[in-house]
Amino acid sequence: MSVRALLDIHVARKRFADTTVLKDVRLALQPREAVSLLGPSGCGKSTLLRIVAGLEQDFQGELRRPDGEVAFVFQEPRLMPWLTVEQNIGFSDDNHYDRAWVTQLIEEVGLKGFAQALPKALSGGMAQRVAIARGLYSRPQVLLLDEPFSAVDAFTRMKLQDLLLQLAEHHAIALLLVTHDVDEALYLSDRVLVMDNRPSSIRQALAVELPHPRDRRDPRLAQLKALSLTALQQAHVI
Amino acid sequence: MTPFTQRLLGACALALCLQPLAHATETDPAEVNLDYAYYSPVSLVLKHFGWLEQALPDSKVGWVLSQGSNRSLEYLNSGGVDFASSASLSAVLSRANGSPIKSVYVYSRAEWTALVVRKDSPLNSVTDLKGKKIAATKGTDPYLFTLRSLQKAGLKKDDVELVHLQHPDGRTALEKGDVDAWAGLDPHMAASEIQAGSRLLYRNKDFNSYGVVSVTEKFAKAHPQTITKVIGAYEKARDWAVKHPDEFARLLADESGLPLEVARLQLSRTDLSTPFLSSKDVVSSKAAAPILVSEELVRKGVNVDQVIDQLIDTSFGH
Amino acid sequence: MTSKTQAVPLATPLAINRSAWPRRLKGLVLPVLILLVLEVVVRVGWLPSYQMPAPSEIALTLTDLAEGALWKHISASLGRVVLGFVIGASLALVFAAWVGLSREAEAYLEPTFAGLRSIPSLAWVPLLLLWLGIDETSKIVLIAIGAFFPVYLNGVAAIRDIDRKLVEVGQMYGFSRRRLVRRILLPAALPGLFTGLRSGLSLAWMFLVAAELIAATKGLGYLLSDGRETSRPDIVLAAIIVLALLGKVSDGLLAALEKRCLAWRDTFQGAGQ
Repeated sequence: MSVRALLDIHVARKRFADTTVLKDVRLALQPREAVSLLGPSGCGKSTLLRIVAGLEQDFQGELRRPDGEVAFVFQEPRLMPWLTVEQNIGFSDDNHYDRAWVTQLIEEVGLKGFAQALPKALSGGMAQRVAIARGLYSRPQVLLLDEPFSAVDAFTRMKLQDLLLQLAEHHAIALLLVTHDVDEALYLSDRVLVMDNRPSSIRQALAVELPHPRDRRDPRLAQLKALSLTALQQAHVI
Repeated sequence: MTPFTQRLLGACALALCLQPLAHATETDPAEVNLDYAYYSPVSLVLKHFGWLEQALPDSKVGWVLSQGSNRSLEYLNSGGVDFASSASLSAVLSRANGSPIKSVYVYSRAEWTALVVRKDSPLNSVTDLKGKKIAATKGTDPYLFTLRSLQKAGLKKDDVELVHLQHPDGRTALEKGDVDAWAGLDPHMAASEIQAGSRLLYRNKDFNSYGVVSVTEKFAKAHPQTITKVIGAYEKARDWAVKHPDEFARLLADESGLPLEVARLQLSRTDLSTPFLSSKDVVSSKAAAPILVSEELVRKGVNVDQVIDQLIDTSFGH
Repeated sequence: MTSKTQAVPLATPLAINRSAWPRRLKGLVLPVLILLVLEVVVRVGWLPSYQMPAPSEIALTLTDLAEGALWKHISASLGRVVLGFVIGASLALVFAAWVGLSREAEAYLEPTFAGLRSIPSLAWVPLLLLWLGIDETSKIVLIAIGAFFPVYLNGVAAIRDIDRKLVEVGQMYGFSRRRLVRRILLPAALPGLFTGLRSGLSLAWMFLVAAELIAATKGLGYLLSDGRETSRPDIVLAAIIVLALLGKVSDGLLAALEKRCLAWRDTFQGAGQ
């Protein structure tokens, strides 16, 4: 039985000035699915994500967005420095945000007690948690993440990855994640799409059919990593 | 660098340098600065003919234009000029407030100030000025004339609005309609009468004070000979002015840039006859001085009579 | 749950400050010293008192004035500064927002403002006197002109300086132009705006004195010229002191407001605490 995809995108061509960044990219996202876009810097994966988010509108192709909400988490937390954690999370609703929902989200991301804190008092990891909570506030069906954990240290990264999986499971959210970290892609996703250099398209799709919760030490992950690295090599990325 | 700062920095150096000369005979200073003004017509004559430069061959003579008594006394106090031309009552005010100056010569006795209104003004007497705007240059004779006139009419300076503008600007303000009256000063007053048809609302010869040339005490002590020479040159100019009235008027007109009739009108109200200070002048100043106290222009507790005695130096008269 | 790492000061003070004096007192040391030296120098006679009155004399003059017309002059000057500053700053904020947000507006307006900005304050005086007379209007306009340019300049710079990344967050949420301005641009530009406001206020005081030196009947600048014309340097200095105090107090109020509104800033506070 085929389930109608939540999100469907086809980019025939995306240009920046004279450079073609994306060429013939097709992507469909199923409900509750986690998909990673893996590739080198500048290959256009962030651009693809921004097209899906609606931040880039100048492209040739079609985009079918889901009926529900789509939220975005940037690489940097991008919190409004003059607002408290609570106000930042409820940012899209101005001053009349849903306090109860915000409080719940704060607890879910592990920041209980920090509702009134200002961003300047938060560490990088904590700020990114707030950004994730902000993303979840609109109760999205799809969460788009652009290298969300690249700015934090390795240990924080692992904790945040687990948190993300938890939240996605709990709130039934599909994830579309851009990353350059092979381990992260494999740990989080159901599918890993390997992209090559520009003009970029999806070179290979790797299915990660391991149940959650996954163990980072699992040898099957190591095998998949080897496959990914081969693919990346063939794409002349590494 | 202002002379003030020069004094500070050069004090020690000067003391050292001048020690050997301290007991030598008095010489004229290397530089002598005087002011000249359109309200002191004789100064214009003196400047024009260069008689002072002849009388002081070893000194560099400098001339500074003064726009009013307030300015000339300011220059005197700051060392910008050595000889300042001002109204005698203004000099009293300055001395009463602490400036160590001495008046040595009378450059004119003129009816040079009055209260002026526009030709179409509805105002007819001093009492009509209550609550009105009067342009007057603070610290000058027209200002003091205004206060005395107001007092005579039973008004105080707070009963009117006194706007502080320098003499030429006061005239403009009157003619433009920005003020209701103006404490005028010749030649600007004469010019306003003739060119704009302005009317003299109130005249009072007795409320005009005579014009004096003043020096600092220090200068008087150090260079009495120079003062005598300067007065001598002034006398030469005065003599010429009295003997050549037509040329005098023409000179005044040329220098001030005003028409000949204006110059003539000013000179018709100017008396150059008794240039030397006498006890009569001391008496007349003392009679005028109470206005300074009653309008609180001097500090509390100042004995104005004493001030006048210290100010007026009759020793330079013949 | 990650714990916050304590921020380490960049430069550890070389010697730990053991002085018991509160910080405020240190600021008073220099002025008090200067006053004492002046008092001695004038009393001894090294400086003539008719040019530089002794501080004690100035204090006496101040007390005299305080019993009399000083408050009239203060209220006149304060009124002018407040009105002129409010007018100038408000106009500046409007124009800064317009030019900052619209490249078109910038292309049309910026060159004119740049030209007007370079006109020195005193050069405006004769023109304003000619056009607006010697009354309050010309004075208020002069002060407003003084306040306008720092606020405008800093406002435009502040808006231009805003992190594009923050604006993108708003765009992602689909904010309208107005909502973007209200929710992101304005708060983000606030630090720069405050700098402009403080600068504008101090210039407003300066232009006030210029305005009152010419054709005034009351005010602190009038008091200043009064002292000048009647050979009362003590009044001149008294007026200067009052002006300095008022300027300091008004700036202090603005600074306190700034501190309150910008408590969220994460910036370098200076070393040595």
